Amino acid sequence: MASAGGAPASGGGRRKSLDPEINLVPFIDLLSTCICFLLMTAVWMEIGALQVKQATGTEAAATTSKSVEMDVRFTSPTKIEVALKGGAKHAPKIVVADADQTARLTHLNAELANLATTLKLDAKADLKAQMGQLISVARVTTTTGVPYGDLVAVMDLLRDHGIVNLGVVPVRN
Amino acid sequence: MAIGSQTLKVGTFQKHLLKRNQKRKARKRLMIAGLTLTSMVDMFSLLVIFLLQSFATSPELVMVTKGVTLPAAISAQELMDAPVLSLSTEGVFLDQKLIGSVDELLHNPEPLMDKLSDLRDLWQKTHPTEKFKGEISLQAHKDLPSTIVSQFMGMLPSQNYGLIQMAVVSKGR
Repeated sequence: MASAGGAPASGGGRRKSLDPEINLVPFIDLLSTCICFLLMTAVWMEIGALQVKQATGTEAAATTSKSVEMDVRFTSPTKIEVALKGGAKHAPKIVVADADQTARLTHLNAELANLATTLKLDAKADLKAQMGQLISVARVTTTTGVPYGDLVAVMDLLRDHGIVNLGVVPVRN
Repeated sequence: MAIGSQTLKVGTFQKHLLKRNQKRKARKRLMIAGLTLTSMVDMFSLLVIFLLQSFATSPELVMVTKGVTLPAAISAQELMDAPVLSLSTEGVFLDQKLIGSVDELLHNPEPLMDKLSDLRDLWQKTHPTEKFKGEISLQAHKDLPSTIVSQFMGMLPSQNYGLIQMAVVSKGR
């Protein structure tokens, strides 16, 4: 067994001990330094980003007639409406209303999953990729009383369903 | 020396105390000699492995401004290096420098627009062969009204900042 100090060799000092002693002190020093360095440089909160492309100049009008636009609208702090505009694909308007944010997002998540079926997307292929190709842009319109956290949660959900091209419509109080 | 009805010889009691002290000292020596470092080295090794696993190689690009609690998101991407616009209850900051209060800048956005224009010009000077990407990182407190954030987002394209990265805290699924 390794130990911190060396033990005297048995047998009158003629024979060397068969159990070699490893000096653990430098090893502990190295480990302590490693722990200090890693603790100091550790990133405890990982920050990421949701990309939003705000239309500049004439970019907004550059969409083709075939592309489908998604209009996501907070009509009140507890109610969200989702409608598709343009293109050949049609789907009924989705209305989600719930006072609880988690329940509202769960409902919206289910409705967006159903949208793939309504739009007759190929279930065998990657649904997210198809949704991303079909919907050219999703514009989110907020309203008074909606916290920024709720807006981000909805945009995060849209991204999770493959709708990556997002925009936020400026709204005055 | 009399204790109760018995009489004790002084010499005997002193001997007893000396013996007890010697026994205690012997016990203490044994305890120090019996300290094993193996368990400590094991614990250190485990700590080092855990910290190495959670070690982030990419540098931390943004510092979260004081008074800003970022919302959480699942589908967050990696944050790019860009100017940071922070919206908090304490004011509006551009690269950690206070520009003004939210209300002031909503009524008169000129100071913010000037600073953004300066940053864009500086970028163009340092990257003369490249086209301006228009990337900006937006940090906003999760409880701020989303209408305020949307108004600021609406201002940014006027200075060619069309690619907004909404900073979020990445959370697992």
